[in-house]
Amino acid sequence: MLMPPFELHHPSTVEEACALAATLMEQGQSFDWVAGGTDVLPNYKWRINPKPHVISLASISDAFTLSPSEIGCMVTLDTLVASEHAHPLLRQAAAKVASSLIRKSATVGGNLCLDTRCFWYNQSEDWRRSIDWCHKADCGTGADCRVIPNQNTLCVATYQGDLAPNFMVLNASVLIVGPNGERTVDVSSFYQLDGMKKNVLEEGEFLLKVMLPKDATQREGCYQKLRVRESWDFPEAGIAASWIPGKTDTLQIASTALESIPKEHSEQISQHLEENKGLIDVKTMAVSIQKSVKPVNNTALPPRYRRSMVKTLTKRALKGIMKED
Amino acid sequence: MGSYRQQPGSGKGDQRRDGKRVAGKQVFPPPGSGGSDPEMRPRDLDFIPETVGGREPKPAGDHIHDRDRTGTAVGKPMALVDSNAKVTGQAWYGDDVRLQGEAIGKILRSPHHYARIKSIDTTRVEALPGVLAVATGEDAPNRFGVLPVTKDEHAMAVDKVRHVGDLVACVAAVDEATAIEALSLFDIEWELLEPVFDPKKGLEDHDEPIHWRGKYHLARTNVQKRVFQEFGDRSLVKTPNAASHGSWTMAGVHHGFTEPHAVVAHWDPNGRLQLYTPQQVPHYTHRALSTVLDVPMHQINVVRTFVGGGFGGKSDPFPHEMCAAILARKAGVPIRITFDREEVYWINRGRHPSHIDVKMTADNEGRISGFDIDALIDGGGFASFGHVTSYYNGVLATAPYELGSFHYTGARVWTNKPASGAMRGHGAVNTRCAVEVGLDEMAEQMAVDPIDLRLANLLPPHSRTISGFRITSNGMREALTRVREGSDWDNKFRQLPLGKGIGIGCGFFISGSGLPIHWDPKNFPHATVHIQVDMDGGVTVHTGAADIGQGSTTAVAQVVAEVLALPVEMIHVRSHESDTSPVDLGSYSSRVTFMNANAAIRAAIGIRDQLLKAAWEMLGYHPNVLVLNDRRIYYKHDPAVGVSYLQALHKAQEDTGALIARGAYRSPPMGGVHKGAAAGLAPAYSFSAYVAEVDVDVETGKVSCTNVWAAHDCGKALNPLAVRGQIIGSCHMGLGQVLSEKMVYGRTGHLQNANLLDYKIPSVHEMPHVEPIIVESSDPEGPFGAKEAGEGPLLPILPAVVNAVYDATGIRMRDLPLTPDVVYKAIEKHLKKHDIDDPLDLVPPTLTHAPLQEQLVERAKEHEIRDRLRQRSEDTSAYVNGVLFGFDPNRPLSEQVEGWREADEPLPEQLAELGFAGRAWLKKEQRHMEDDA
Repeated sequence: MLMPPFELHHPSTVEEACALAATLMEQGQSFDWVAGGTDVLPNYKWRINPKPHVISLASISDAFTLSPSEIGCMVTLDTLVASEHAHPLLRQAAAKVASSLIRKSATVGGNLCLDTRCFWYNQSEDWRRSIDWCHKADCGTGADCRVIPNQNTLCVATYQGDLAPNFMVLNASVLIVGPNGERTVDVSSFYQLDGMKKNVLEEGEFLLKVMLPKDATQREGCYQKLRVRESWDFPEAGIAASWIPGKTDTLQIASTALESIPKEHSEQISQHLEENKGLIDVKTMAVSIQKSVKPVNNTALPPRYRRSMVKTLTKRALKGIMKED
Repeated sequence: MGSYRQQPGSGKGDQRRDGKRVAGKQVFPPPGSGGSDPEMRPRDLDFIPETVGGREPKPAGDHIHDRDRTGTAVGKPMALVDSNAKVTGQAWYGDDVRLQGEAIGKILRSPHHYARIKSIDTTRVEALPGVLAVATGEDAPNRFGVLPVTKDEHAMAVDKVRHVGDLVACVAAVDEATAIEALSLFDIEWELLEPVFDPKKGLEDHDEPIHWRGKYHLARTNVQKRVFQEFGDRSLVKTPNAASHGSWTMAGVHHGFTEPHAVVAHWDPNGRLQLYTPQQVPHYTHRALSTVLDVPMHQINVVRTFVGGGFGGKSDPFPHEMCAAILARKAGVPIRITFDREEVYWINRGRHPSHIDVKMTADNEGRISGFDIDALIDGGGFASFGHVTSYYNGVLATAPYELGSFHYTGARVWTNKPASGAMRGHGAVNTRCAVEVGLDEMAEQMAVDPIDLRLANLLPPHSRTISGFRITSNGMREALTRVREGSDWDNKFRQLPLGKGIGIGCGFFISGSGLPIHWDPKNFPHATVHIQVDMDGGVTVHTGAADIGQGSTTAVAQVVAEVLALPVEMIHVRSHESDTSPVDLGSYSSRVTFMNANAAIRAAIGIRDQLLKAAWEMLGYHPNVLVLNDRRIYYKHDPAVGVSYLQALHKAQEDTGALIARGAYRSPPMGGVHKGAAAGLAPAYSFSAYVAEVDVDVETGKVSCTNVWAAHDCGKALNPLAVRGQIIGSCHMGLGQVLSEKMVYGRTGHLQNANLLDYKIPSVHEMPHVEPIIVESSDPEGPFGAKEAGEGPLLPILPAVVNAVYDATGIRMRDLPLTPDVVYKAIEKHLKKHDIDDPLDLVPPTLTHAPLQEQLVERAKEHEIRDRLRQRSEDTSAYVNGVLFGFDPNRPLSEQVEGWREADEPLPEQLAELGFAGRAWLKKEQRHMEDDA
């Protein structure tokens, strides 16, 4: 497979990166950010939305920070898994991403900003031509969505990152930088519909690091991932849960790989706690999470099954943090 | 400890004091006689059969090749001779070939499932700077195909494209980027046609059948091949004691080999085509190239590169091989075409997606009274090996069990999908799974142990199946017994807790196809091997056998080394070029070891006899009393009286120069005379039995296979290490098919997962612990007793896992692969039916033996004695399928019972009751329709 040609830029500071982005934007040139490249580059090889410029974050030293409170976007998943500074939940989740080989390159920032996936979209150019393209990469044709036909306004590609729900249940936030300065956003509000928009990043902005609150260290977490194989596979459904042991009001649950964005389930939790007088009933809690998600048919396993599994995964994640069998 | 030296001229008296050569003495530089060890190693009696004075046990009796054993290489585990090249990265695969001045070829593929090409305008392509040549279907109108009876392929589409990804045109350019750009400049006018995806629809008449076979076309359907076979007494199935009826849906699977297809074509300065390709069957490519290019075969040299995995997926002549040759001829430079993974899936040739319906019955003595199999297989856009697959889906189920009757209807239909073809375990895998699961179900109904049910119904060695196949050696009983012991079956079966299960499955496979496809074996042998030995003592073996990683080159080197008593490193196998290799049918139908090694043994004996004759002249002892051992020939009773290998060789060369010899193999006449009798006919058959243990997560439906005890009867393990590797590899491949791999065709008919992320080959995490158990039944016609070990070991893993899942859950599942969603759905359905709330409340099945169990055990014991006598040829009486049912094997069965039938076409009254595939028999061929008109 031949990589389409692009110009690769290597800014060495955040400021330089932002200036470069600003210049390209002024020139009307489109570009992508690249960290580990394990998501962007395969897509490029498949000629999925390749850009003429790619800005690498690999030379920015600020992007490699790793402490209990901060994780830079360039920290590889492999480093995260091995790090004593990282929260056990993050290490657990990162260890389940793709394969050991990919984790050597794949990064925290890349995983959070993962492109949404869909089997009508993650295909070669020849293949996509044979279905007359799709809404997400319509090649100027205004093609319909192939998952939900007869509409070309909403992309329902699935977000299949593993880390996002885990950061959500640890109440993490992200630092976004760009030509217009920096801002901090909670991970739970970082993602934005639809499958094409994906997140709140505006043109020229990138995710520099993830920040964890102090009490995150007190949290006990568990991540349950559904996949066909124990290696390589993206999650077909993922449930993360955490709490400060014994404090039901600190319970957090988040899901991934079920919709176009990962989802934080505080609404279902507070309703549940209200109905159960502050107690957690694992089974009914699991059912209410299951009811709140609606996967579509665009990943390896059928949506009905994935939805059924939300219940099981939630149950297991809750039992995991409550240390029950 | 001293021994006799091998080095000629290295002893005293060879050198004069002044350092000059003694007249008449040739001084050879070391290592001269081969290997760095100048001393002769003692005879390795552990690897010389007890029948000829050694210590190697021969429980199955003596073998015709025993006296050719020297204890050198056969039976010893050794690394494959090409492994150094592979582990050092020096093996040259298809895409490693780089020729000076080469350009890149790319193929334009159809974006449509089914369409007529009204016009192709290449003007814009040709105008692109950097484009060297363009070709379309018009450049090569001659048809080809792997089987002479079904040539339905073109280099590029002529008139119609038949699936998304079908070849439309090709272009050669100075680099890949230019070639890719050029593909977007073709202007094509299409007329879209109505595609067919569902094989059941393929049985119906269609306005525009995917291919047209003229007067042989079946009405206007898309049926490529239909088969009907019936043997035995069908009345036996009417009042069964147990019956199993299973409807299976099996997804298509792909070989998933590591190396994508790649080819380099070059027309040399003399105008001869040199084609480099990773082919399992270079000879068929050779023939097809000649046909398509209109060039005589002697003007083409097919060079087989190292093959990075084949498994049947590189055994057809391929259109891209033709394209490379056509582009190279037009462009005047070498052309290289390398596939992307997606293109690998588009050319496909994987296992057929199948609908298989199996009805089985057993009588009150626990005998299998009937197999009734209906197999509708989805061939995709082209015939490929499908003609054969259509037969194999039925006939390869006729053993290892003795059957009261056998009824098979099969149909292969064309659909607008990538073509299915041959894949490891060709045609036998899906039906085998269905049949073995059916046996499990019948055993449960009769409350007997499924292993004992099998043991009491096995065909013995030296017998004939109901369809007329000649069984020679048969290690089925030993395989079953050993997996039973190894797995501690008797303490686990039906006794494990919910979610843990154990299951049994057996296999039966051909060891070489009895008939060469392109010629009558009476006229031309299956395999030929040439050996040449020159004065350096190295032995050059020329063979056309294609090493695809299975170790065929090593097998040939080993048997030659064994016969000549030379270290394996002195044997140099040359097998890459059709210019120097004798014609060989290549690596398919598990024929190579059996046929090629047999030919190699014969050639090696030819060389050995010349050496012994020379030694006779030198020593005065007749070859009958001479011993070959490690580069030396000596008098049996006094090893001091002998000559070195090189001395004998040079003596033998005195008048002729280099020694040459050739050997050939052809299969003996065998089999019935009915239509299709040749399908499934083989000079020997392999047998296998596996026990698998699984964990089933009943809350998610996820199945993991944890342990496998895998016994395979390969006759004689020439290289036990390679056999173990084949068994473990087969387990991996079969596990993929039963648990996770499938070619997914979505609602639009597109192949949705043409990549290795979404096509889910098991990873190392999914791999169970496999305990390979080698059973050696010593085949009378196999080389040193050997049979195949490359395909048969795949078969039993599927049913073993499916049966184990039942043992774990109490639920029968018949949709492959058993991905978590499929298993969960089955569990959900079961829970609903039995009004169970929580899957953790499922009750796994238990077993209390019925009185029949005792009967079966007794019968199996009797049969064990019977089998041993037959295996050792101490009992040479005739045995045909039917003896278990009381028939006399010495008289035609049709004379003994009124209802006995051998048929290859249905009777009119049977038409109404035929299964899905059988409905193809409701249609008439065009020629008969014309008769009616």
